[in-house]
Amino acid sequence: MNAVIASITLRQLLSRRRTLLLLALSALVILVAVLRRLSSTGSDAKFTADLLSTVGIATLMPLVALIFGTGAIGAELEEGTAVYVLAKPITRWMVMTTKLVIAIACSIGLTSVPILVAGLVAGGEGSTRLALAFALASAIGSALYCAIFVALSLVTSRAFIWGLGYVLVWEGFLSGLFTGTRTLSVREQTLAFTQAIANPAADVFKATLPLGTAVVVAAVVGVAAIGISLRRLTRIEIAGEVV
Amino acid sequence: MSVAATEAAVEPQGPSAPVELTDVSRWYGNVVAVNEVSFRLEPGVTGLLGPNGAGKSTLLHLMAGLLAPSAGSVRISGRPAFGDPHVYRVIGLVPEREAVYPFLTGREFVEANAKLQGLPDPAAAARRAIAEVDLTDAQDRPLGGYSKGMRQRAKVAAAFVHDPPILLLDEPFNGMDPRQRLHTMAFLRRLAEEGRTILFSSHILEEVERVADRVLVVIAGRLAASGDFRAIRRLMTDRPHTFTLRSSNDRRLAAELL
Repeated sequence: MNAVIASITLRQLLSRRRTLLLLALSALVILVAVLRRLSSTGSDAKFTADLLSTVGIATLMPLVALIFGTGAIGAELEEGTAVYVLAKPITRWMVMTTKLVIAIACSIGLTSVPILVAGLVAGGEGSTRLALAFALASAIGSALYCAIFVALSLVTSRAFIWGLGYVLVWEGFLSGLFTGTRTLSVREQTLAFTQAIANPAADVFKATLPLGTAVVVAAVVGVAAIGISLRRLTRIEIAGEVV
Repeated sequence: MSVAATEAAVEPQGPSAPVELTDVSRWYGNVVAVNEVSFRLEPGVTGLLGPNGAGKSTLLHLMAGLLAPSAGSVRISGRPAFGDPHVYRVIGLVPEREAVYPFLTGREFVEANAKLQGLPDPAAAARRAIAEVDLTDAQDRPLGGYSKGMRQRAKVAAAFVHDPPILLLDEPFNGMDPRQRLHTMAFLRRLAEEGRTILFSSHILEEVERVADRVLVVIAGRLAASGDFRAIRRLMTDRPHTFTLRSSNDRRLAAELL
């Protein structure tokens, strides 16, 4: 970790207008939990699990990671400020890991924390354990998403569109139609981790992907994404004028 | 005998120059941006002159290790420029693109550069560099609110903060007002007199004329001319020299001339 790169990246990620949008989305998850708690129906573990998995894991987590993951290095390359970090006697490995760690930390802050709060507020039987499990699993999921989106931003200048396509089409649409595609879905892997940590009753929450598969695929994808990022950043070229 | 002959052949080149390009070409797909260019930069100010799109920025980025040559070699103090972050200890770079971190103040920006260079006292180094480019009054304002000329000077201060022996500047005078321009030119001259190797690109002949000892003229990716500025200037027949002769005896002078 390089402290200067970390602080610049942090300020860069948080100073964007999009971050406000993400904050609103995080607040929304908590707001829904509060409303449910105050409503006449009261708390219910099934509702809590549904809220955290559909709004928290399936919507909030990928969007937050997409914006922070593609913003950490990709946006800087596009804007042209990356040269101030890359033209320095600092290894590219250091630049890459620092930016990735900051993107992950920001993502966890805006994903896992609201998920934990919403889970605790919404309540229901065994909801504390459920909320903790969702929060922990979403931290792993956020890290994995960030690694993928950072790599994507170093491979293509349209990382945001490709990332959004992956989240919406692959994870959102194809996973529902073909069970095989779930293996390569960060969302399904995160739900498998949640299940393993919380071990809830089957009628409250059940993940579709087996834990073993989720662990192996997540590890392979994570290592591959970091490898690709490092390789791309080491060989990256910054052209002077567009010819 | 063969050894002596080899040494004799190599000797005229002397020890490794601060910056040395040997048969460097760089192409993007089918477009050749730089075509078999060779030169060495020595201490002093060198102007890289050429029209827009001639390949100046590509050459500068090759020297700054930000682009890999498609053919040939680019060496900084004898080491390949591309793929080695350590060259940035001896290089200071002012990129042409205007983008800076808008949320940092001038002081924070220059200090961040000093810290990224690993300087022992980044605050003092930043103070010195900011004073050199005459930006002390504005140093606590965010870069986002700077004029183009102020931003240029902040970039120069950031590039110079670690006191590098080699300074590469891409169109550094762009956006500066005439006073700032003269100030920065004098600053570069002073750095050169202290023994640094300075290269700046420009498409304006007058800028090069004022600051540079030597000039490299690039046209369509090729090195069209290089060497002493005045020698090349004399060859530019499309820009005639004007001489004014004054004498105390005009009649005699006229007779001599005729």
